[in-house]
Amino acid sequence: MDFYKIPSQKLAGQVREDPALLDEIFAMLSHFHNEVEDLNIFILFDPENIQKEMTFLKEKIAKGKSLSLAGVPVSLEDNICTENIATTCGSKMLSTYKPPFNSWASEKLQEAGAILAGKTNLEEFGVGCRGNSSFYGAAKNPWDQQRIAGKGAAAAVSTLMLPLSIATDTIGELRQAASYCGVIGFRPTYGRVSRRGVIEYASSMAQLGIISRKTSDLAAALEIISGPDPQDPTSLKGEVPSYRASLQNEEKVFKIAVPDNWDQAPGMEKDVKECFLEQLHNLTAGRVQVEYIPLRYFHKAYLAAAVISAAEAFSNLANYDGVRFGYRGEGKSLQDMYIKSRSEGFSSKLKQFLTFGALVSSGKHYEDYFLKSQRMRTRIKNELADCLERYDLLLTPTTPFTAPLAKPDTEPDQLADPALFYTAAASLAGLPALTFPLYTSVKRPAGLQFMGKAGDEASLLQISALLEERGISLSFPNPGSIK
Amino acid sequence: MPEMETVVGLEVHVELITGTKLFCGCSTAFGADPNTNVCPVCLGLPGGTLPVLNKRAAEFTIKAAQALNCKISEMLTFDRKNYFYADLPKGYQISQFFYPMGTNGDVEINIDGETKRIGIQQIHLEEDTGKLLHIGTIISSPSSRVDFNRAGVPLIEIVTKPDIRSAEEARLFLQRLRSILRYLEISDCKMEEGSMRCDANISIRVKGGDNLGDKTELKNMNSFRSVYKGIEFEVARQKQVIKEGGMVAPETRHWDESKGITKAMRSKFVSADYRCFPDPNLPPLDITKEWLETIKAELPELPAARFKRFLLEYQLPVYDAEVLTNSKELSDFYEVTLTYFNDPKTVSNWVMGELLRLLNAASLEIEKCNIRPEALAKLLKMIDKNTISGKIAKTVFEEMFESGEDPEVIVKQRGLVQISDENALEDIIFQVLENNPKSVEDYHKGKKKAMGHLVGQVMKETKGKANPQKVNEILKNKLDN
Repeated sequence: MDFYKIPSQKLAGQVREDPALLDEIFAMLSHFHNEVEDLNIFILFDPENIQKEMTFLKEKIAKGKSLSLAGVPVSLEDNICTENIATTCGSKMLSTYKPPFNSWASEKLQEAGAILAGKTNLEEFGVGCRGNSSFYGAAKNPWDQQRIAGKGAAAAVSTLMLPLSIATDTIGELRQAASYCGVIGFRPTYGRVSRRGVIEYASSMAQLGIISRKTSDLAAALEIISGPDPQDPTSLKGEVPSYRASLQNEEKVFKIAVPDNWDQAPGMEKDVKECFLEQLHNLTAGRVQVEYIPLRYFHKAYLAAAVISAAEAFSNLANYDGVRFGYRGEGKSLQDMYIKSRSEGFSSKLKQFLTFGALVSSGKHYEDYFLKSQRMRTRIKNELADCLERYDLLLTPTTPFTAPLAKPDTEPDQLADPALFYTAAASLAGLPALTFPLYTSVKRPAGLQFMGKAGDEASLLQISALLEERGISLSFPNPGSIK
Repeated sequence: MPEMETVVGLEVHVELITGTKLFCGCSTAFGADPNTNVCPVCLGLPGGTLPVLNKRAAEFTIKAAQALNCKISEMLTFDRKNYFYADLPKGYQISQFFYPMGTNGDVEINIDGETKRIGIQQIHLEEDTGKLLHIGTIISSPSSRVDFNRAGVPLIEIVTKPDIRSAEEARLFLQRLRSILRYLEISDCKMEEGSMRCDANISIRVKGGDNLGDKTELKNMNSFRSVYKGIEFEVARQKQVIKEGGMVAPETRHWDESKGITKAMRSKFVSADYRCFPDPNLPPLDITKEWLETIKAELPELPAARFKRFLLEYQLPVYDAEVLTNSKELSDFYEVTLTYFNDPKTVSNWVMGELLRLLNAASLEIEKCNIRPEALAKLLKMIDKNTISGKIAKTVFEEMFESGEDPEVIVKQRGLVQISDENALEDIIFQVLENNPKSVEDYHKGKKKAMGHLVGQVMKETKGKANPQKVNEILKNKLDN
């Protein structure tokens, strides 16, 4: 059976009816995993654990529990804690770490009957999207193995192996990866999904997001992992809207704004530009109106986000000192132990980023870099809020370019990566955003990025459904041809 | 050399008795086995560091800020103070750097019969660190162990203005501060257990000068006495340095209790640049007027007010009022006793005399004392009614203190009821006079002292139970007639 063609909701229904289907799903996962092994998608793929979860699920189904994702295989990024299951963050520092607790997301998915298919590869601690810092090597792009996937999570969905992947989006890494791999990537409003049990590098921006191929799968998963969590003080209060129901709204007219200088990103690829323009043209029909608007600060977002995220990362990652957990370098003194643990446990890319963070938050540069960036953040927040009062959605490309070639890690990164050019603003402002795949003439995917009002995930899901319906049909590399 | 004056500012850390930690549900109990009161949050485990504010700790801090007459911040915010140390699990301490809960307050102390205000620069809420454990000294110990039970315990830091002018003022300030915080029931303020810790910034300058001299920060003072002695020593040391034409080096110094000296400390591996920024995990909360009013309405009568009331209402001497109101529990005990036996001065004498003497001897807190106010009042009534003598009462009181037994029961069981019956006393006195002809003769020769001997003999015969007034009366009567 071609499980990847079946919407998750329907698959769950079939599994509830006939739990024996789980054995077929297991076989399919094992087969796929073999096929895509070269892509380095997973840090952990544990068939034994999958079977254990399936046995447990069968018991739950027998007890008549209502499980909306029964048997649906979902992966978690390897910075999302899973109790007693290795959670490495793609780092040598945590290569042996098994958290004694579950994340909110893994709990919710398990309660809904989803099967943890594996822990996906990521840049070390989720920082960046350049495929050059994971201790386990880069995840490769299913469309072109010379190129990066950005995240194992995006590759896993793109290869058709999984319908859904949960991963972190801090300055837009999830949206970038989804764009590089030609799948839907979704970042909810900041606080919509609890960050409990997520090992994040910049707390003020980190959000859990979802990667999928179908809007309906996305809506179903979002409903499961959203919700107020008293153990996350930044978690949004109030009831979670029914996202699946919101997809029924087929009357809605969308007023969409596009920044008039949308093509000013450094390193903008000609193909991406043309493809975006073409889609813009196609979009403007029926229920969709598009207008160009001037935005004064939007294009500074990636600079401010780079500074703020680095400053926070220096603090967030200060607990990796070799004292209580993780990698410890032996030293003659406490200071010596710190230096060895952190020098040997972190990659050079991450250390470069953390050093930048230490610098911009130091007394000497605090005013000029950190405070300035925070002020810019406030301006961007206000600018976007203002714009989204007049428009339903703001539209840009997701990234200025298609998936980059894998870079040797000797080549220095830019501290403010142009890949963040479009995605950083929603992160700074805490807004929900969605990337929908585009296909450029060079046969590499790119993405349309929509940003919505805080709390209005529904509009993003609706536009995604509309595009689906308009037959911008999603195409995917044939899994059989990958090897 | 011009006259010099001492300038001291104190930084006092006080652990709050909230029962649970500042950002997680772990117990704050003192003395548990190492690393038993810990969880992913206070251990700073990867993915386990989301803090959930203990609202009680915030309310306790607001209470303290109100009691110290501070201006209260409009927002409740927390910041990260970033530095590396083995006792700091997250690599940062959550504290209130930018907007301390309270600023610009004061505390009154009484010194040499006068009232003096010590300014409070700020009070803020933060989390405590863990504790490093060593075998012997930190240098000689083969390893360091870390106990994280204390990590995350809510702590308030109170910083005074440099208004303190002597070691005695520092001691009085600390005592008054402890008294206030204990009245508020937000901390037990035990310096020996570390629930109250005090560092002193000490400098000297030409008397009346505007500028502060180079200061030293004095640490490791673990009792009120060592705060006093440490400051005394450090001031004398600095004066000596200046007298010899030297300069006071700005440094951190360590009070060595056993040697009675201060020593320059090795500089600790701590970055001086704390890179403070608002903790993104803790969004600001409004401190509303309503919230402040609710908390204010719960404030108890504070020591200064109670002191004044005791002077007026009970006409007590200043000394009595001060000693009694220094402790909330002691003054509560006093006032409850008065509701059963309304003689303020007598009750004060007993509480400050016998009760405090026995408590101090046994190193016991009043809350743990066996004697309840009702029982003390009962005892005092028995004296008042001549059922027992004052002297016997002290013996009974000691037994009450030991056993917690009711005074009436003790008096009855041990047959301590005073003999006031004249016929019974006359019989005994007759016998005593018979047996002591020499004393009777001395008395009649004019040696009035002989009378005392005879009274003593009667007391001996009655094992102290004779009513001394009656004995005197009857004896005098018999001898003179």
